[in-house]
Amino acid sequence: MAVLAVALSSAAGGFAYFLPAVQEAFDATSQVIVLPTPTPTPSPSSTGTAKPTPRPPDAFTVLLLGSDNDAKFIGDHILTQSMIIVRFNPSSKRVTMLSIPRDLWVPLSTGGIGKIDGAYSYGGAGAAIATVENNFGITIDAYIWIGLAGLVNVINAIGGIDVVTQAPVFDDFYPFDVGPGNPYRYLRVAVLAGPQHLDGTHALQYVRSRHNDLQSDFGRSARQQQVLLALRAKAAQVSAADLPLLAAAMKGQIKTNMSLSRIATLLPLAGGIDIKNIQQVVLLPPYTHGCGCPDGYVVPVWGAILPLVHQYFP
Amino acid sequence: MISRAAVAAGIAVLMVVSSIGTYMYLGSRQSKVAAPAQLPTSSTPSPTSFNLPGTLFVTQGGAIYSLSAGRFHQLTPAVGWTQLAPYPDGRLLAVKRSLLYSDIYVIDRFGKVLRQLTHNTAAALNYDPSARHWSFYPRLSYNKKSIFMSYDKPKFGFDVPMSIWSMPVGGNINQGRLWSIAIDYTGGDIQPLPLRNGIIYTKYTYGPDCSGLESQLWFTGGPEQAYGGLRVCSPPPGDSHGRPLTRANEGCAQPSLSPDGRTMAMICTHRTQVSYLTLASWNGKTLGPRRTVVSNVLVAQPTWAPDGTGLAYLAPAVLGAGFQLWWLPKAAYAPPTPGPSPAAPTPTPGAPASSPSPTPTPSPSSPPVVVKPVQMTSNLGLDATSPIVWLG
Repeated sequence: MAVLAVALSSAAGGFAYFLPAVQEAFDATSQVIVLPTPTPTPSPSSTGTAKPTPRPPDAFTVLLLGSDNDAKFIGDHILTQSMIIVRFNPSSKRVTMLSIPRDLWVPLSTGGIGKIDGAYSYGGAGAAIATVENNFGITIDAYIWIGLAGLVNVINAIGGIDVVTQAPVFDDFYPFDVGPGNPYRYLRVAVLAGPQHLDGTHALQYVRSRHNDLQSDFGRSARQQQVLLALRAKAAQVSAADLPLLAAAMKGQIKTNMSLSRIATLLPLAGGIDIKNIQQVVLLPPYTHGCGCPDGYVVPVWGAILPLVHQYFP
Repeated sequence: MISRAAVAAGIAVLMVVSSIGTYMYLGSRQSKVAAPAQLPTSSTPSPTSFNLPGTLFVTQGGAIYSLSAGRFHQLTPAVGWTQLAPYPDGRLLAVKRSLLYSDIYVIDRFGKVLRQLTHNTAAALNYDPSARHWSFYPRLSYNKKSIFMSYDKPKFGFDVPMSIWSMPVGGNINQGRLWSIAIDYTGGDIQPLPLRNGIIYTKYTYGPDCSGLESQLWFTGGPEQAYGGLRVCSPPPGDSHGRPLTRANEGCAQPSLSPDGRTMAMICTHRTQVSYLTLASWNGKTLGPRRTVVSNVLVAQPTWAPDGTGLAYLAPAVLGAGFQLWWLPKAAYAPPTPGPSPAAPTPTPGAPASSPSPTPTPSPSSPPVVVKPVQMTSNLGLDATSPIVWLG
């Protein structure tokens, strides 16, 4: 009787410890996604509509979405500034990351044609997933969405990351919109070049600034992939006892439709993959080209993109 | 006989203790990943640090620290100090960084501010972000008459490239000269290394085919001429634009010349996400063959000992856990002349690779002694973007 009581109370202590993490996990995971019913619209001749191709049976594809979700935006009507398709292939222990330019001009799953970053704004995660699937011919198994503050908090919660910043990032007009105050202010930022330890704020500046990069959003995409890899390396040092702290950091800033069991399966897999087996793809020209127009959208060259996608995401 | 009440009370106490104990035990099992870096003054450097000659100056969290005789001393409060460089009579050049701008100061070896050399802020009511400036990487010229630095002028709206400027000692930036023409939208030119006949610096370019952003060591014997015309991805050919010392795909930066002026230490990334400590001979015009002496870690700020007995650098001991001070004795990269038939050692990841032997005939009787880098500090968070100063 006494032993049972002690065991139960110990379990209660453990439950109390992990309760915040469990609460956040339930809040953030297993999000229901609604796939939009598109309004038929004429597609351009260069449409990317493609049929999904067979893929390795155990492969798992996640769409990572990163958004400006500051006070400039109302509710969930936010643009996805970052869209990265990540394919885990457990049997070959390989990972492929493909960054989609946020300004890519595509037919949207919600109807009409527009920049791909608007899909989430019009129809949430379901619309973003369907737009990617329809255009790239890839089946997306799950999505993970993270807000600006979420990225900052997560990186701070794991004590920062070490990266080799590929070039100095100077920006006189960096949006000063994380935190309280007028979200339309600007900040001067200077992230110096070379190996260094970045906290969450400076990591966000590094991956978000695009004004001082000839490759603009493409250069930014490469930096985002770099920080993801650094995060992965640091996350491998995190223990289960850190989960409540991480959950507090992520509160309200991360959403996914993955179940807890799926996450539990994928986390060790992600940590165990050699960095040499991680393939990074950015859709620079000749896969895309500028429109030469004031809207500044990016025109996909599907004839080049789809073979590339089928190569890396069979 | 023990009453039921006493048993119940005992069990209740046990339950409370076990539940709280479990909670506290789990809390104690948290990893140390988020633990703040230790202050250098409260750390105990490696015993090897007692043998280092002279005084090293480093920065952490905006404060300047000195390391001499195996002990750290905090010289300034943590108010944005970074980017140190030697200045005559044991003084230092240092950058003080604020939220919107940075300035260069002269400080003495005890951290006392002697003079402010730049004034890069603007009036408080000037809300134009571009009215302020950054100055980084100050270095005294070879003849000690001017200060070289990276400075964000000229800038063009969203394009804020750093250029190399020189400014007279005792003068101001309005008397400065523009030494390098930065490539648009690269971040620009940084880390000037003054020489007798010019400067070496790190230039960021997109390469001749505009394919990717890379760092290159660059030499210029005098102020570069403007390119003119359209935007370029890399400087056009011509001596008036300086010349590259390394290939773009080597990704080299942070040049540091040995005290005898014959060997260049630098870091090179080779399009990876780590940096390699690389040495090359320097004849005053070109760099010789490269030798990687520390590989597969994030090496930063290689700095020669003033007596030429080795190199100090910064690198994490565990990825993501902050940068520590390391010491690479000379024997690791310039081993003493071996016996008649030395073996050719194989580079070890994370450890120095000895120089290739001119006669690579293995000799089982004289195995090579691989000298590894010595980790001088633990649990610190040294600023890896701030050069180390090592005074004799």
